[in-house]
Amino acid sequence: MDSLTNPILLSRIQFAVTALFHILWPVLTIGLSIFLVILEALHMKTGNEEYRRHARFWTRLFLLNFTVGVVTGIPMEFQFGTNWSVFSAAGGDFFGHILGFEAAMAFMLEATFLGIMIFGRERVSPRMHLFATSMVALGGTLSAFWIMVASSWMHTPTGGYFENGRFVITDHMAAVFNPDMPWGVSHMWVACLETSLFVIGGISAWYLKKGRFTDFFLRSFKMAVIAAIVVTPLQIWLGDGSGRAVYEHQPTKLGAIEAHWQTNPPGEGAPWKILAWPDRAQQKNLWEIDIPCGLSLLLTHSATGRVRGLTDFPKEDQPPVLVPYYAFRVMLAGGGTLLLITIWTLLAWRKGDLTSGRIAGRKRLLTAWMAAIPLSYLAMEAGWVTREVGRQPWMLYGLLRTHDSATSIHAATVGASLLTFSVVYPLLFALFLLFARQIIARGPEEEPPRMPDSRVAPRPNGIHTKTD
Amino acid sequence: MESIQPHLADIWLAIIGFFLLYYAVTDGFDLGVGIISIFSRNDAERGVLMASIENTWHDHQTWLLLLGGMLFGAFPRFYSIVLSSLYIPILVMLFGLIFRGVAFEFRALSHRKLLWGLSFGFGSLLVSLAQGFALGGLFGGLTVQQGKFEGGAWGWLSPYSTLVAAGLISGYVMLGANYLILKTNGDVRKRSRRYSLAASLCTLFVSVCVHAWTTAKYPRMAAKWLASPEGYFMAGFLALTVIAFVMFFRSLRKGPDYGPLVWNALIILFSFVDVSIGMYPDMIPNFASAPMTVHEAAASPGTLTFMLAATVILLPVILAYTAYKNHVFRGKVRESDDGIECKP
Repeated sequence: MDSLTNPILLSRIQFAVTALFHILWPVLTIGLSIFLVILEALHMKTGNEEYRRHARFWTRLFLLNFTVGVVTGIPMEFQFGTNWSVFSAAGGDFFGHILGFEAAMAFMLEATFLGIMIFGRERVSPRMHLFATSMVALGGTLSAFWIMVASSWMHTPTGGYFENGRFVITDHMAAVFNPDMPWGVSHMWVACLETSLFVIGGISAWYLKKGRFTDFFLRSFKMAVIAAIVVTPLQIWLGDGSGRAVYEHQPTKLGAIEAHWQTNPPGEGAPWKILAWPDRAQQKNLWEIDIPCGLSLLLTHSATGRVRGLTDFPKEDQPPVLVPYYAFRVMLAGGGTLLLITIWTLLAWRKGDLTSGRIAGRKRLLTAWMAAIPLSYLAMEAGWVTREVGRQPWMLYGLLRTHDSATSIHAATVGASLLTFSVVYPLLFALFLLFARQIIARGPEEEPPRMPDSRVAPRPNGIHTKTD
Repeated sequence: MESIQPHLADIWLAIIGFFLLYYAVTDGFDLGVGIISIFSRNDAERGVLMASIENTWHDHQTWLLLLGGMLFGAFPRFYSIVLSSLYIPILVMLFGLIFRGVAFEFRALSHRKLLWGLSFGFGSLLVSLAQGFALGGLFGGLTVQQGKFEGGAWGWLSPYSTLVAAGLISGYVMLGANYLILKTNGDVRKRSRRYSLAASLCTLFVSVCVHAWTTAKYPRMAAKWLASPEGYFMAGFLALTVIAFVMFFRSLRKGPDYGPLVWNALIILFSFVDVSIGMYPDMIPNFASAPMTVHEAAASPGTLTFMLAATVILLPVILAYTAYKNHVFRGKVRESDDGIECKP
């Protein structure tokens, strides 16, 4: 029960709970807003009303998701000050204004144009409406960029020096373009696309399976499949690159992710432990199934490349091992399964099963797409757990420890706020599911009734023709 | 660039001040509309109130995020001390923002209109209350030693901060009522004028009390009144505040519907500048030991310059598209503003 009286641990749990919960929403906001831009542009280009109906249907889900994303996002920014004030003062020289930039460039753009996108249809031209939707999408993507810049800087803090408990920035560009940034930004942004496309495809699959609005949802299903062909392999490639960046810059994190304890001697390869049970107390794996030289090959592209083991570092500098090791494997399995589902769907498409007459017969395939919704979220969350638990025991990697970063507040105060979050967030989640179910159960609105058009006059024989 | 170096912290103080003012006025009237909605007679009326801010409360709230982020960047030590010492009011504010924020969308989708209408109203009240206590707690002085907060979790709670919170709530109600005068018609507008009068009298009374109390407990501020030129500036802005109040009461009786809101915003601007001159250069008043000044709280000159360069480009862009949006949604609330994109 010691843990309940430790305010630092409670602050860490609170941050983990609020961050893992918050990130569920922006991923869909970012991906879905891009999908809405595509739909609206297609409608404008082709004049096909189906795209407009699609935009209206997905906008309803978008807005519901956006709402929960925003209200759970605000506590993230303020928690750095309330619970991690030592870190705020130490890293504020860089970290603070990046959050400021995120608000100024991304959130403001998103929030302002959202008003026009949702409420301005009658007040602006279609072209302007498309522009507003594009700005909402751009705002979402920019917010992902800036928050990943901030996060990656905690992993690879560059661009200045650490002195007297403060990081002083001397080169802002070097800090923004820190070594982890390109991989962090791209891996997360593509994760947003991947999760969103499986949400779009999965929801469409539900309708296709039920045989409701088949023609309508076959369109969005196929769009999701086409995107998946590019996105699922791309994400695995980015993950591989991200892993090699970790290998270069964060050796203790890599050691934990791969349960790799001993540095391989020169001339020998480091094995890749596919499955193992790491024991941090004994500094070894109790059992393991490995591929000889696998880790060296993966990371250095050479059979005998040197990979430093965890025992090269003092125990107090090592992260927890069990959690990153298994979280990483969950992410890998999730991403791999999504790729397999994509390949499976392509085979079905080649057989000609992706037509309104035959799609409902592919029940298993459609069920797999529905299951891919939670799976893609799970993979994304597991990725975050791998990333941030692997960073421990550091807040700023190698410079400032997590347990030195927290505000000295009473456990009771943090406990009370943690308890409130633990009640409010599940409530929000339940309400989201309730309303989302309601939106999905109702489905897209029926074909809009044909507007009486003065230019179309009925002829006696019932054939309509334009009068001009 | 050399010449602005010594003034960077002051420039940033002014920019942050602008963010704070913009937030306080715009989200102030949103929150005020929320508090007024608690007293709505029926659901249709509450719907009108919510529709009046529905397309724009979101970007007003974002100014709080902008304020938080830029404060974190430009004055990291201020940010870290103030947020950690005001832990309880800040967290309460965040939960209030959650209830207000989800209310619009959930109300549109739910059959329980009253429940989500009240979530909007009481969420707004909670946010205002928490902001009032946070502001009162800060002005009441924080116990800071060696750059760390050393007071208790409830250090912000005092008779003084309670008075400030009461003043902020009535100020927000006054703003909200003035906004409704501008945006609505008929019965709602008529009642908003009455609300505005009551709230403005209350706000006037409380601000005079807060002003006197602050000057009394804050000798550095009292001394400013006798200093030159600060004393003259403070007297000047106080006079402007009084004139704006007089004009405000006049505009409430007759004149265009935008009058009360405009004068209200000017009252806030003038009194804000007045208090800022009195406080400067202190950022955190501290009656036990030395206060934290603007220059002690600031980030490194390199960071301030970098942020300034970015802000000089970004801020006009933000103001431009905000102005465009206000232009799009000008005039009274329309039927079609009720979210046609999301409601079939």
